[in-house]
Amino acid sequence: MSSASDLPILDFDRISFSYAKNGAFIKDLSFSIGEGEFIGLLGANGSGKSTILKLGGGILKPSAGRLMLWGKSLQTFRNRDRAKLISYMPQSLDVTVPFTVRELVDMGLYPYDIRPAMTTGEALDMVGLRGRADGRLADLSSGEQRRTFIAMTLLQGAGLLLLDEPLANLDIRYQIELVLLLRRLKEERNISIVMALHDINVALQLEKVMLIKSGEILGIGAPEEVLTEERIRQAFGIKVRIIRQQGENAYVSYKNSF
Amino acid sequence: MKTKLVVIILVPLVVFGLSLVLGPKIINPFAMDETSREILFSVRAPRSIVALLMGMALGASGAVLQGILRNPLADPYILGISSGASLSAAIGIIMGLTFLGSFTIPVLAFAGAIFTGSLVGVMGWKRGGLWPERLLLAGVGLSFLFSALLMLIMSVSSDEGLRRATLWIFGDLSMSDWSRIPFGLIFVLGGMLLSMARAKALNALILGDELAHSLGFTPHVERFFLFVSVGLMTSASVSLGGMIGFIGLLVPHMIRFFAGSDSRALIPASAFMGGALLCVADLVSRSILPPMELPAGVVTAIIGSPYFLYLLRRRNVLSV
Amino acid sequence: MKKVTILLAVLLVCVAAQYSHAGETPKRIVSLAPNMTELLFALGLGDRIVGVTSFCDYPEAAKKKPKIGGMSNPSLEAVIALKPDVVVMTVDGNPKEFEERLRSLKIKTFVFRAKRLREFPQGIREMGAVLGAAEKADVLSGEVEKTLERFRTARQPAKKEKVLFIVWPEPLIVAGPGSIADDALTLLGEKNISDDSRTSYPKYSIEEIIRRAPDVIFIGKGKGMERVSKGLLQRLETVPAVKNGKVFYVSDYLYRLTPRTVKGLEELDRYIGRRD
Repeated sequence: MSSASDLPILDFDRISFSYAKNGAFIKDLSFSIGEGEFIGLLGANGSGKSTILKLGGGILKPSAGRLMLWGKSLQTFRNRDRAKLISYMPQSLDVTVPFTVRELVDMGLYPYDIRPAMTTGEALDMVGLRGRADGRLADLSSGEQRRTFIAMTLLQGAGLLLLDEPLANLDIRYQIELVLLLRRLKEERNISIVMALHDINVALQLEKVMLIKSGEILGIGAPEEVLTEERIRQAFGIKVRIIRQQGENAYVSYKNSF
Repeated sequence: MKTKLVVIILVPLVVFGLSLVLGPKIINPFAMDETSREILFSVRAPRSIVALLMGMALGASGAVLQGILRNPLADPYILGISSGASLSAAIGIIMGLTFLGSFTIPVLAFAGAIFTGSLVGVMGWKRGGLWPERLLLAGVGLSFLFSALLMLIMSVSSDEGLRRATLWIFGDLSMSDWSRIPFGLIFVLGGMLLSMARAKALNALILGDELAHSLGFTPHVERFFLFVSVGLMTSASVSLGGMIGFIGLLVPHMIRFFAGSDSRALIPASAFMGGALLCVADLVSRSILPPMELPAGVVTAIIGSPYFLYLLRRRNVLSV
Repeated sequence: MKKVTILLAVLLVCVAAQYSHAGETPKRIVSLAPNMTELLFALGLGDRIVGVTSFCDYPEAAKKKPKIGGMSNPSLEAVIALKPDVVVMTVDGNPKEFEERLRSLKIKTFVFRAKRLREFPQGIREMGAVLGAAEKADVLSGEVEKTLERFRTARQPAKKEKVLFIVWPEPLIVAGPGSIADDALTLLGEKNISDDSRTSYPKYSIEEIIRRAPDVIFIGKGKGMERVSKGLLQRLETVPAVKNGKVFYVSDYLYRLTPRTVKGLEELDRYIGRRD
């Protein structure tokens, strides 16, 4: 779809960041996200996935480097304007909020004064929750709750979704459902997605992954190239075997580890 | 939706009308003699208007605070504003200060409230913003401190001052008169307008700081303005008639079933409902054992506590 | 010439009437304090009272009058509904704001300002003057003055005894400086052990009582006072008053300024009495 010569949506140019006063957690990180890309951000806990996503969403400010949104420095965007372009979904969603599905999805319109083309109903249709529109968020299953938030980001009209471990705590069926939904969004609406995850098997099914460890990129590209046994050992500290069979998808074997 | 709107506006108006006509003695508005007219306009009318204003302030403040602090048990007094107001009002009453005539005690209460609110705000500030947990801790801590100081002062005062200070603290609408109303109106309506202007932001804050940020808001700034609106409304309420509890805590929960959780509806609905409720409580407090007048705060507590316990038993009710 | 003189005289009387502070006797009086009610009855104005507080219980007739609320929280509405010509209130016990509200509603008020025993006669006279009962007031205040004078000039006891007047046992509240009981004790030539306190009715510590060892203890009567104070007296066993059995229960006449206050004086004297 997009090539490297097109203007990327989000460009990390030698970004550094640290939580503590000194010592960098992320140092000289560089990568970019183009239009219509669906990238899996893979790494162990604490490897910097959340940090990178928060930097991309403007929640954290880098201590060095340039972060460009459509070629302009991210810092120069007003909050509302940035919100129309990037949507960030945190890892833990407080589902005791008292809103109904419809009320929550409607909040995607907050950055706007005028209602954009998409309606709430359409957004709900895209995620398959039209029938639950008036139910309370707390009454939905965890998969449905995630999809509600995604419908909200649809109304937000953001071209880039930064999702922090949206598959966490979901049954495998809902994980697959969510990934398929995200793929559809990418295909039908040209929305770019960066999704943090730590399940290697799921990562192997994505079209593009970025493997990180301790705030550094170990590799970025197609899973066959990036997710080698050696690199996985570096990132996760375990020895695995990648089984690739003709005509079947690749999967990870943990046999040697147990 | 339209009918809901009409109902929610009508209820406090109807209650207000009833409070003028009912009371220890029923006044027929179409056949009023001189005395009745006097009572209606000079005694009951200002009193009921003050009750409406206070109830509106408390209801709206409760709705806003429960959102900012993401805590269903938040009440306007949790931020210690009322303790500061009670302390300065009690000092004024016990020392018999009258430098501003009949405005002295309300002004002192207001000053105490603003001072405490600012102090809580300062203590709740860190790294460029207001944090809910810090606000809560600061509020509770200051509340304890000021309550202790209040008790200290009351224990060394004459029992005359003691009695009057206590009655004030429990909520005293009996001294309401027209001169206090413009001041109350300005601050209560001002605070309400400010909170309504940031109602969408409040909705987003309820989702959490990160999602609020993602939707384009700056959480700290929004929290600040909302906090100020609560401060204004609560300070005005306490200075008009002392501490009247439960309204800020209960009304948002009560009205949620009717108005939904969207702050744009919940805040005004809580305001109208709070106003109606306090008007009723005041009516009861002066009609149940005439000519004794119970402090309105006592009536709201007696009605409020069982209702609160009842709410606890219902499922899902106490989410923010 | 005679006609002019008569005319002038009449004019003068009218002018004098305008400027005189002596008011006409008001027809409808509301009382906001029990001791005011008592005084009003003593001044012969009892049948003009149209409203009293729920605490006004003396004389008997007061109990039958319409009620307008408490002392600290009278009902404005109830007072207005009674259409009073004047509202009688005290400076101590009624809220100041209430007086302001009444005045802003153009209702005449009389505030009884006497708080101490020595101010009492003058207070009575003022009240009589404003309410058009000057004669009766003179008689009453005269009686009070006579009694006060009698005690003042009586032979003082050889040794000043240390006395404590307990107003309430739990929490322990005693009559301190500025209270009527204290005035009474001073008049009788005794020493109130709490006379260096800062308020009129301080909350006192048991320790302090033991340390100051009063010779006589008076306990003012209230409902169930004897029962409640037993526990207190047990803790004060070592105090001379308790050891020598000089603990006396007296009535509450000395709690407020009423025509019966002098009876309270005489009561104290009877127990301490070693005078002619």
